[in-house]
Amino acid sequence: MSISRRSPAVWSTCLAILACAAAGGFLFNWLMPQGIGFLPPEVSSPLWQAVTPAEAKQLREQGAVLLDAREAGDYGQARVRGALKLPADEMERLYRYLEPTLKQAPALVVYGQSTSRFPAATLAQYLRRQGYPKVLVLEGCLDTLRKAGFDIQQVKRQGAKS
Amino acid sequence: MNPRLMEAISLLSRWFVAGVFLYASYDKVWEPANFARSVATYDLLPLWAVAGVSVTLAWLEFLVGVLLALGIRTRAAASWAVGLLLMFTGLMLYAGITGAGFDCGCFPGGGGQAAAHQAGYEGALRDVLFLMPALWAAWRPGSWLALTPQASARAGGDYLSDSWSRSIK
Repeated sequence: MSISRRSPAVWSTCLAILACAAAGGFLFNWLMPQGIGFLPPEVSSPLWQAVTPAEAKQLREQGAVLLDAREAGDYGQARVRGALKLPADEMERLYRYLEPTLKQAPALVVYGQSTSRFPAATLAQYLRRQGYPKVLVLEGCLDTLRKAGFDIQQVKRQGAKS
Repeated sequence: MNPRLMEAISLLSRWFVAGVFLYASYDKVWEPANFARSVATYDLLPLWAVAGVSVTLAWLEFLVGVLLALGIRTRAAASWAVGLLLMFTGLMLYAGITGAGFDCGCFPGGGGQAAAHQAGYEGALRDVLFLMPALWAAWRPGSWLALTPQASARAGGDYLSDSWSRSIK
């Protein structure tokens, strides 16, 4: 009985602390230059366009280059066959190596998305800023692309059991 | 046990947890984009929730650290510390089970695969160790160098004795 009388005070204080934290955080993010929005700018105001798997396949047949924006380790494990590696977290460093190839392509199709991350959007935004007129994002994770009929190249680790 | 010794343990526990939370949070508060990236690495939240949760979490850690350091609403702050540390322990175990091997984003100076604070079983053990003083502070907030009456009303008082003294008023 005594615990039930005591509990509301602690719980209400806990809720008040949470509310203060949320308010402080949102106020700070709103006022300070380093603040972040609810969504990253490449998602809230995209410069790229989304593309369906069927359209992406058609574009590839017309010579579009497919880019994998995920981390290098993910690319090393599995990727769409023929996709070039350009991880979003290293794009500024690696871009110059791919630049000659990308400049010749009529369109760039980027993929790479997970539950919490959308590196394809980050890379597509970057490429649009580099002056590429046609940058398209293939939304969905690798599993989605597999189901859509893309040829996924699975790389077995050395020493892994079959 | 000697009440003065209990008070000393309460004060040290409170300040230790406060130090951990303040150290862990200042960088997250000041550089929210970096922390949002760390939260996204776990791939547990939908994209639209990452920024809101990471910002609130960083400020919650900071606020809990400040409240514990000053001894304001100690029991509630320590309860938050316990809850957060339990959550962090779960995340570390999850990272250990999945073999993720990324920086846990817990403390400043992380980043990359060879980070000093890699997510995994070692991180879970560290969080369990931090949990001990947090539990003590929640159980016996103490009154030494505490600013609010809640903490100082009853030296070494626990949940039951506090509630009893309140209920008979």
